Amino acid sequence: MRLPPARGVALSLLLLTAILFPLLVDNPYLVSVVITAYVTAIAVYGLDVMLGYTGELSLAQGGFFGIGGYSAGILMATYEVSFWIALPAAVVMTAALGYVIGLAALRTRGDYFAIFTLAVGVMIVIIIERWEGVTGGTDGLIGIPPPSSIGPLRFDSLTAQYYLVLFFLVLTIYVVWSLVNSLVGRTFVAVRNSEELARAVGIDAGKTHQLSFVISAALAGLGGALYAVFLGYIGPAMGGVQMTFMMLVYLMIGGVASLAGPLVGTLLVTGLMQFLQAFAEYQMMALGPILVVVIIFFPKGLAGLAKLLPERWRR
Amino acid sequence: MMSDHPIRDRPRSLGTVLLAGLLLATGCSGDGQGGTDSDGLEVVNIGFVGPLSGGAAYYGRNVQRGITMAADEIAEAGGFEVDGRRFRFEIVSLDDRYLPYETATAVRRLLQQNQTPVILVPHAGGIRVVQEMNTREPKFLLAAYSSEPSILEAENPLMLMLPPRFDGYQEPWVEVMMGRFGTRLALVPTTTAYGRAWTEAVSAEWTRQGGTLGRDHGVDYNTTTDFTGAVSRALADEPDVLFIGGPSQPTALVIRAAREQGFEGGLLIMDQAKFMEMLDIVPIESLEGAIGVYPVETYPTPGAPLFAARYYERFGADSPSPTSEIAINYQALYLIARAMTLAGTTTDPEAIRARADEAARTLPQEVRVYEVAGVTDVGLITRDVFTAHIVDGEFVSIRIPVPGGAP
Amino acid sequence: MTLFLQQFVNGIALGSVYSLVALGLTLVYGVLKVPNFAHGALYMAGAYVSYVMLTSFGASYIVAMAVSVVVLAVLGGSMEWLVFRRLEGKTPVHSMIAALGLLFFMEGTADVIWGPTFRQVPTPFDGVVTLLGVNITEQRILVIVAAVVTMVGLYLLLKRTLVGMSIEAMAQDREGALLVGIDTRRVALLTFAISGALAAVAGSLIAPLLLVFPNMGELIILKAFVIVILGGMGSVPGAILGGYLLALAETMAGTYVSFAFSELIAFGLLVLVLVIRPTGLFQKGV
Repeated sequence: MRLPPARGVALSLLLLTAILFPLLVDNPYLVSVVITAYVTAIAVYGLDVMLGYTGELSLAQGGFFGIGGYSAGILMATYEVSFWIALPAAVVMTAALGYVIGLAALRTRGDYFAIFTLAVGVMIVIIIERWEGVTGGTDGLIGIPPPSSIGPLRFDSLTAQYYLVLFFLVLTIYVVWSLVNSLVGRTFVAVRNSEELARAVGIDAGKTHQLSFVISAALAGLGGALYAVFLGYIGPAMGGVQMTFMMLVYLMIGGVASLAGPLVGTLLVTGLMQFLQAFAEYQMMALGPILVVVIIFFPKGLAGLAKLLPERWRR
Repeated sequence: MMSDHPIRDRPRSLGTVLLAGLLLATGCSGDGQGGTDSDGLEVVNIGFVGPLSGGAAYYGRNVQRGITMAADEIAEAGGFEVDGRRFRFEIVSLDDRYLPYETATAVRRLLQQNQTPVILVPHAGGIRVVQEMNTREPKFLLAAYSSEPSILEAENPLMLMLPPRFDGYQEPWVEVMMGRFGTRLALVPTTTAYGRAWTEAVSAEWTRQGGTLGRDHGVDYNTTTDFTGAVSRALADEPDVLFIGGPSQPTALVIRAAREQGFEGGLLIMDQAKFMEMLDIVPIESLEGAIGVYPVETYPTPGAPLFAARYYERFGADSPSPTSEIAINYQALYLIARAMTLAGTTTDPEAIRARADEAARTLPQEVRVYEVAGVTDVGLITRDVFTAHIVDGEFVSIRIPVPGGAP
Repeated sequence: MTLFLQQFVNGIALGSVYSLVALGLTLVYGVLKVPNFAHGALYMAGAYVSYVMLTSFGASYIVAMAVSVVVLAVLGGSMEWLVFRRLEGKTPVHSMIAALGLLFFMEGTADVIWGPTFRQVPTPFDGVVTLLGVNITEQRILVIVAAVVTMVGLYLLLKRTLVGMSIEAMAQDREGALLVGIDTRRVALLTFAISGALAAVAGSLIAPLLLVFPNMGELIILKAFVIVILGGMGSVPGAILGGYLLALAETMAGTYVSFAFSELIAFGLLVLVLVIRPTGLFQKGV
């Protein structure tokens, strides 16, 4: 699990850029756009664990994002639980629901799995909308407080929240990186490449899928919880099918099964959509062809552009 | 779905993250507040964040049309005066696709890049999110276009609620409907947050006046393909009156389905739906016995026909009828200009808000589409409201008293 | 009992709507493994073409639909030619993103051309028929009949014509089809063209019942996917049955439980079916 030196230098530079970003650009709007991209990227990493490494497309990712957000939001706004308890609780809750849903969903594979999870995603939103006493219905929940202070560390400013979210993003990337380089990660890939072959060498494909699905859901829960706390609000749309499809766009534009892909894709497409706002009613007309062109000419995603860098920059 | 097609299994460099950051930084550079234009008018940016694409785009662009019309008129008339200088409005619009979390980002962008002292948001979800933002620095005035009374509960000191609150409508409407048609009510309203709040208010009032309620057969008007099933079910309860409403066009489809199935009773229509828009889809005969908000063109104030004439002059005689969405927001922009003049500032939202009441009372006659009476402490713009009941194909007005008494 | 009959008729009409939209989708999905989310946009475009023919050119209903079929066949074919052909050998998820891109583009284009306004398509069939206390509009009868005709037509096309048989062959085994001398590219192009034509038929028939606006396809496309999977991927009879099943489940659940939960029940039905039969009701080629 050791990094080649050049890659280590590149990573440190990037991390430094990320750390200095809010100090260099004194622009709350840009900082908030990047925060939004970071929290979404965390969930997109979850999507990639399932799609890129295990080979199944889960279209319930937006739903899990919403469940994470509502779990944290309800605990913090309704029950006044501290963020530092609500956050892990939200992740555990989402993972647990992911486990239960996985038991049924993973009886199917391929297209059937994708549509099964899509249906689950739709059902999650409907339940959120109808369970008004708890979720606030279609109104959503307001008044989710910022994270409480730890000693001298306060989290009520935008910059502080940026660092908090950055911390969890880096943690997510580290966890995913460790995972894919571990034995577990290799069983994921083995199952993706051929379930029969994996079974033949003694891998329990069912358990492998289940584990991957739970990790995927947990990351969506983490992202969703952070998003709810950052906004101070959570509504049903955040768990919607639209959210799922945008996550899928981020992942495919960034590149599946690549460590940079989810982050690159999320930042680029989020940035692009902000930029296209200037074109008013022409924005969707412009966004569509860009997606088509990128997916045709960069089927491995824009993170694959790194290939154009000199050889020694890669490992 | 991917199992037949192995993708790469080696993690790749994080190199292009930098590129992403750069694009974001360059793509979204700011253009800042105003300056002076060729007419010698200084510019005040007014923010608008609403649905400009997607299924609710029609609604969002109607609201945008209202404020843009007012801004253009003001500029053409030589601007408005603040502290000896002359200003005009520039509308800066951002699309939030009706998603409250996008509203938050768009508002931050307006504050950062356009220094907007006023931001208009036309949906309750977005308004709630923005209520958490507008009293922190940088402060701004939230112009809230939603008739849902609950947005007043936050007691936001920097908000103006532009339309009348809807909870004044039910009592007189129920009285008229019961008097004309009978006491059995069936419910097929939209199930959005707004629709549900309305449904509760109507149900409570209907029962209070001694009527009987059928079960709630509400469906989401924005996602339903075919309303026939829900309408058939509701009509099986043999109601005298149907409570319906959502966006105008699907509401018209519900009415069509009800009339096709032989329903001849009254229609109690939520204020979200507008008669003139429904009339584009169903004939006036289908709307017989309906009660809803009054069309702007024939609204019983001196200012309304003047407004309608200016509207048709600007957009052409064959353009869609002006709705109250357009008119209320149009008038609100004039009110804000007047409040800025009175406050002597275009940038201090607290000072502007403080003079809003006086601005409402002294608004010039030619832009008084509605006879606004004042602004309450929590920001509600008050006025007498006229609603319409269709009797023999004619609009008969029903006056709704100012809610909560005079301001 | 009258209510049950009324809702049964309503459900059949809605099922015809669903099936009509799902047919073109299941063809492309089954044959080419392209999850074409842009099919909803094709359906929308089909409705707009009919609308323009009827209102601006004063064409008769049948002429309007014929023009719409031709235009959409070309549009569907060009989608394949310009976009999906270039994604051959990539994963279906790649096609899905391209399809989303096309959906955004077509919705955006419709918005720029026609604006977000809701439009109504006039129909000569606006009367109401009442039988045994059950009401149904003439347009709904037309939709039900036309759905059956379209289904039979598609079935005959697939089973009785050379084009259809090459499509079927390709659906079962792409490489095999290539080996026996079928021009798979031409078949792919044709499949998309037929799918576009089916979307035009659906859009033209359904539009008078509903409203025409740029995002109208979004309301129905997710359900169409559910139907395609419910019936078993690529199975034409499956898609038809799935459409009626879903519509009847929604309508009856709404009637006897609550309309607020009818969608939940519809999607729950899909989940239940897949738990019991993980490859849909009509598993293909097994």
